Amino acid sequence: MTSPSAPAVRRATPPALAPERPVEWPKRTVRTLANGLQVVLAESRAFPKISAQLYFRSGNAIVSNSAPGLAEMTATVVRTGTASRSSRQIEEDLRRMGASLGTVSGADSSAISASGLAEFSPGILELIADLARNASFPDDEFERERRQRLEELKVERTTPGFLANERMRKTLFGQHPYAVIAPNEEQVAGLRREQLAGFYRDHYVPDGSLLIVVGDFSAAAMLEQVEKVFGGWKAAKPEAPKSAAPPRHTGRHVHLVNLPGTVQTQVLTGNLAITRRDPDWYRMVLANAIYGGAFHSRLVLNIREQKGYTYSPRSGISALRQQGFFTVHAAVRNEVVAATLTEIFYEIDRMRALPVTPEELDSARNYLSGVFSLGVATQDGVVGQLSTVYLDQLPEGYLETYRERIRALTAGDVVAAARRHFDSANAQIVVVGDRAQIGEQAALFGPVTHYDARGNVIP
Amino acid sequence: MAAPARHLHIPVEHTTLANGLRVVASPDRSAPFVTVGVYYQIGFRLEPHGRSGFAHLFEHMMFQGSENAGKMEHIRLINSSGGLLNGTTNYDITNYFESVPSNALERVLWLEADRMRALKVDDENLRNQRDVVKEEVRVNVFNQPYGGFPWLDLPPVAFRNWPNAHNFYGDFADLDAATLADVQQFFRTYYSPNNAVLLILGDFEPAEAFALAKRYFEGIPSQPLPPRADISEPAQTEERRGEVAEKLGPLPAIAIGYTMPPRETPDWYAAAILDSILHGGRAGRVYRKLVLEEQIAVDAEGGADLLDTNGPTQMVSRIFHKPEFTSEGTVAVYDEVIEELQHTGVPADELDAVKVKFRADYYSMLEGGMGSHMPRFGLMHYLACFTLFDGDPNRVNTILDGFLAVTPEQVQAVAKKYLVPRNRAVLMRRPVNPGGAQ
Repeated sequence: MTSPSAPAVRRATPPALAPERPVEWPKRTVRTLANGLQVVLAESRAFPKISAQLYFRSGNAIVSNSAPGLAEMTATVVRTGTASRSSRQIEEDLRRMGASLGTVSGADSSAISASGLAEFSPGILELIADLARNASFPDDEFERERRQRLEELKVERTTPGFLANERMRKTLFGQHPYAVIAPNEEQVAGLRREQLAGFYRDHYVPDGSLLIVVGDFSAAAMLEQVEKVFGGWKAAKPEAPKSAAPPRHTGRHVHLVNLPGTVQTQVLTGNLAITRRDPDWYRMVLANAIYGGAFHSRLVLNIREQKGYTYSPRSGISALRQQGFFTVHAAVRNEVVAATLTEIFYEIDRMRALPVTPEELDSARNYLSGVFSLGVATQDGVVGQLSTVYLDQLPEGYLETYRERIRALTAGDVVAAARRHFDSANAQIVVVGDRAQIGEQAALFGPVTHYDARGNVIP
Repeated sequence: MAAPARHLHIPVEHTTLANGLRVVASPDRSAPFVTVGVYYQIGFRLEPHGRSGFAHLFEHMMFQGSENAGKMEHIRLINSSGGLLNGTTNYDITNYFESVPSNALERVLWLEADRMRALKVDDENLRNQRDVVKEEVRVNVFNQPYGGFPWLDLPPVAFRNWPNAHNFYGDFADLDAATLADVQQFFRTYYSPNNAVLLILGDFEPAEAFALAKRYFEGIPSQPLPPRADISEPAQTEERRGEVAEKLGPLPAIAIGYTMPPRETPDWYAAAILDSILHGGRAGRVYRKLVLEEQIAVDAEGGADLLDTNGPTQMVSRIFHKPEFTSEGTVAVYDEVIEELQHTGVPADELDAVKVKFRADYYSMLEGGMGSHMPRFGLMHYLACFTLFDGDPNRVNTILDGFLAVTPEQVQAVAKKYLVPRNRAVLMRRPVNPGGAQ
């Protein structure tokens, strides 16, 4: 290996950025089959693999008032048997195709996804279709999975991050279905196999659903395969029920989940915000990046790099389909719970009151446009972005125009978004930790309601 | 039924600078990004005695400022270029890496060179990061159910030589005892160009990348390296056992670790395939037996860090079992899985399927490996390990052949030789509060 000769240098200032190369998102082939299934294909040929995701637009939220846990349990049991394959056969078929399978249910959707070697593409698609159409919900597999879920729930109840998220969602969403992130043990124990089969029959349908396939194939040939495998499937889509509105919060309120003896406190603050379809979305994303959404953000600089209160503080916007919310989280040592909350709100108030500096603005705009585009380099990254676009029904040019939209934003946009969507005065505060050590600190920020780890209010 | 497999070839070019820094480039112009890594051949195994956790604490210090990029500047310059960065501390290596739009390549190289040449930190930085690291340990270990299981629990039971057997995250007393002089000494000893490899992957011309590497790194002086420490383990003669109290989680957990054959020996290749037979997801024998068939366990999985370690390492099975079964009884059923493999070996069709999955997993690792945030993270990681441990980054294109050539006879022989009580450690995490949260 020879290197062109260049003198070794020591320079005191960072080199300037070279001219930027355009990011080219793969061309999408989009078709809606006669049965109503929307198909989105994109070539990504660096590695001989494919990644396929089949989404149904019904998830945990649609049953969270009637049968919490039903959607996620249905997804779990879907992979354990079909009319022609046993649980063991399914797992062995996957392995011999070099494939991994996930069947999950989130708040708004349920998904069957598989990735594997491109040479086995037809078999991988056929397996997904078999699970989507012919799942048999064997009794013994259901009972086994139910018992496993009951044990997992017990572990979740000892996990501070889970307890904080659970309490925040209940607080922010009230009677709205998004209030529930997990069923309780009695609800899981009460599920019946027939309910799972019923949810599957009603919601695992082609009409209105979405199949994304990304990988090492030619789109024309893949479209033919998809039509062959999924074209004969027919079922009508379910009606979408109306949801209760989430509550309006007035004033700060503290929700303390008591875990006696813990050596650290999980702090989480939040307020309702917006969805990706809101006109303020890009402004909100930029405000979040400057506030606490990146390593180089005000929150991280303050409570990690200056004060050393915490390891990995961050803020984020969770954009569910009907409603988004904004949260700030940090796991801190018990002595600095009040100090941490003070800084969280100080930084929120500063975002709401004062314009960000031109340097911060420039830095955050570049950060977002670069990191957004990193996804283009991997199949999973492309699948992730395409699922955002097509599940949320964003405009066709969303991927291509994201960078210019972010770069067009001003300091005024950031203040405007912070004032509308970072709520300081009415923030809901969750702290998970040892009440004896943190109770007085928490009470400085508003009236306190105490809970045990099971979610019961305690005196 | 399957189309022909496409043979994957990763382009690899490499050179060594005058100061001993190895530079490996893997161009791929398909997307306008570069991933850059600097790997130093020092991990927590070789941190100083009395300074447990120091290698990791030091990794944090590498983000605290260098001669021309002060505190937070490194992070600001990467984030504001549109990129992400991180670092991790491992058994035998510590890595620092960035994924950025390709127009920031020169800037990234300048930053990495600046901190390789001249770390510039003070007592205040050290105090700050000591606090941050303690919260990291609390959030990942003390305040999590099964925190540190089994990566912190098992080594003290399995091994006898301090480098392999101590607390890698660090005792708080040791973290408190660390001084700025320790930081400077560690930097001088291990963070020299001749103890590192620079990886550049993605959208660039190799000639240009090598020229930039030379420009920014070649002026950094090499240092004499300390003699390689003895990390060998004394021969084990009987099974080792340990117990740790689980303060939060309600389920009993068991880790079973078997010490693996030395790197790049024929047994090592067979052991990797054996690992996939036992732990390959739900089709793996351990999950199938314990979770699906006997329904003793809620979860049972495991694996071995074979490609990215260069010293004593174990294949570890992790089992979370239902409270109505005993941990002893669970281990006895696990042992039936091992004995069956030893007695009857592996059928040809199972071995073929395992190899297909092994190939698929290898490709997935090369492509991503850190979610979708760090494109080619896995490729970078393997190129670094093959360079530092084996002296040949091109092994990334040939190593798969070694795994795919393993025969049923080799698998059975390795199972008989290595999966024996005198080569294993068993660690039980016993819940203090088996009912769960009160």
